[in-house]
Amino acid sequence: MTDRAENSLLILPGLLLLVLAFFVPIAQMLMLSVSGENGLTLAHFTRFLSDPYYLNVLWRTVRLSAIITLICALIGFPMAYIMAHVSPKLRLWLVIMVILPLMTSVVVRTFGWMVLLSRSGLVPEVLRDLGLVGRNFSLMQTETAIVIGMVQVLLPFMTLSILGVITRIDSRLEEAARTMGCSFLKTLRTVVLPLSVPGIVAGSLLVFTLSASSFVTPNLLGGARIQVLAASIYRSVTQTLDWPFAAAQAVILFLGIIVLLMPYARLSGRSNG
Amino acid sequence: MAEVRLNAIKKSFGPVEVLHGISIDIASGEFVSLLGSSGCGKTTLLRIVAGLESVTSGTVEIGGRDVTDLPPEKRDIAMMFQSYALLPHLSVAENVRFPLRMRRIGTLDEQRDKVRDALETVQLGHLADRRPNQLSGGQQQRVALARAIVSRPQILLLDEPLSNLDARLREDMQVELIEIHKRLGLTTLFVTHDQEEALSLSDRIILLNKGKIEQEGAPREIYAQPATGYASSFLGAANLVSANITEEAGGPVATLADGQTLPVGKDETRRGPAVVALRQEDVAIKPKGEGVIEGKVRTRVYLGARNRYVIQIGKEEIRVLAPHDLDFERGETVGLAIDPARLRVLSEGE
Ligand SMILES: Nc1ncnc2c1ncn2[C@@H]1O[C@H](COP(=O)(O)OP(=O)(O)OP(=O)(O)O)[C@@H](O)[C@H]1O
Ligand SMILES: [Mg+2]
Repeated sequence: MTDRAENSLLILPGLLLLVLAFFVPIAQMLMLSVSGENGLTLAHFTRFLSDPYYLNVLWRTVRLSAIITLICALIGFPMAYIMAHVSPKLRLWLVIMVILPLMTSVVVRTFGWMVLLSRSGLVPEVLRDLGLVGRNFSLMQTETAIVIGMVQVLLPFMTLSILGVITRIDSRLEEAARTMGCSFLKTLRTVVLPLSVPGIVAGSLLVFTLSASSFVTPNLLGGARIQVLAASIYRSVTQTLDWPFAAAQAVILFLGIIVLLMPYARLSGRSNG
Repeated sequence: MAEVRLNAIKKSFGPVEVLHGISIDIASGEFVSLLGSSGCGKTTLLRIVAGLESVTSGTVEIGGRDVTDLPPEKRDIAMMFQSYALLPHLSVAENVRFPLRMRRIGTLDEQRDKVRDALETVQLGHLADRRPNQLSGGQQQRVALARAIVSRPQILLLDEPLSNLDARLREDMQVELIEIHKRLGLTTLFVTHDQEEALSLSDRIILLNKGKIEQEGAPREIYAQPATGYASSFLGAANLVSANITEEAGGPVATLADGQTLPVGKDETRRGPAVVALRQEDVAIKPKGEGVIEGKVRTRVYLGARNRYVIQIGKEEIRVLAPHDLDFERGETVGLAIDPARLRVLSEGE
């Protein structure tokens, strides 16, 4: 047996597992989404795409995910830069601090936010005392609450992706930029930021996909009125038991994410090459 | 243009002091070489002038202004890094344009012209659109050189700018550097390992040894009269042989460890134990019996136009350069002729 053949044989079990665990469910989902009472149909898709309610849910999902991704990048980049430039010991503590939210259960964490953001909670109370908001102000059941809760959970993905890239930037490049007339901030913009693009892209991909498909936090913080797509899928499955329609929504979410992320992936490919 | 004045610069990294109080005055438009062995603090000193490294004590003045606490971008300098520090996300031309863009020098067209000129100077005009990682080491080094000279700063700091070039290119670049310096009169601080480069390029050489200035002076002066053993072994790769200097009838004489004697210059005043510095090219190999002392050939290295012999004298070995038409075998005893005027006596322990 040749080496090549042997190699192919050896990766076969892994490949099989991948097909079973990854492609089969997706294929099944695709099948389900086009199955109707009598044969194949696109009815579930047309139903989704012609109902303003569902289009609104889709738009909200995309919009919130984009805002969450942007905020994560805006916080994550400076945070990663600072982490890359402190002593290794301090860096370890900062990393632990950043990933701490991931170590707690999503339900517990979200209930924590509910306590903080509700009408009698800490945040609205402080804002009220400062005279910034009215008496009935609450952050619960708003899109703001969803964004706050999601940013906290997803920030580590962004920060750590960027950190991995920034620590590999030669510090002499920044020094060289300084000797060529860049202030500190200008160096960040002209040298560090462009060289961090692969990390920012990778982090954004993670944060965007995770937030577009997340369900618990938006559901608990946004309430029933502010639906996102994942929650709507959940409702179709559990309340109306309309599996094909749930599958169609899942396919739309899946395709939507892929279409949005394609140019992004190409961006990171170019800055690597 | 501007002069640079370093006053009693000390620099410590943690508990280790690497610069022990260095004072240098560089006149406006002067070309000064920093010469010294690896790890003696040349790069550190350059980084202090650039403002990339803080001083532990002492002050830095540029153009009569105290810039000790000024960040690098506020000092009108350009620095070429030993590791090039080319920006990987920019093309060669964009790298060279970077200092012009950041300091807002000239219009876009003027910047393009300057970039083209600088790249022509380093013979890289044809690679303007490449990325740095698509260049060879020597090409990258020349891009870094072009980037340093393009903005015509008051102070030009070059950290071993030619170390990675082949002999031919290096000579070309040396000529270019001299021309640029003549034409623009940039105050230049030039770090090198290579004594020949320092001798041929600079107005003044500053020899550093372990964070201290060992000797400074014009190239001729420092080459002809190295003050210490370190200086003479660094400049001219001299052999250092210990000897005892005594007064004899015909003038002072150096007695080597194995008892052979060697006349030294008449005006030599030092007596007692000393070190004799002999340049490789100042010792002539003769057949046995000729010459003032004798030695045994240990090895012969073919260098093209010349041969280098390692000659054993008693327990010590010296290196000698000889024309290649002279041929001596290993183990052969040869005579060595040394002009007393060319030999320098240094006190021991220097
Ligand atoms: N950031 C640093 N932290 C600690 N020690 C340092 C640091 N930078 C340099 N040193 C030490 O300072 C000394 C001088 O270093 P420097 O880089 O100035 O040497 P150099 O003369 O440029 O050597 P070379 O010719 O090899 O480039 C060395 O002993 C080096 O180990
Ligand atoms: Mg160095």
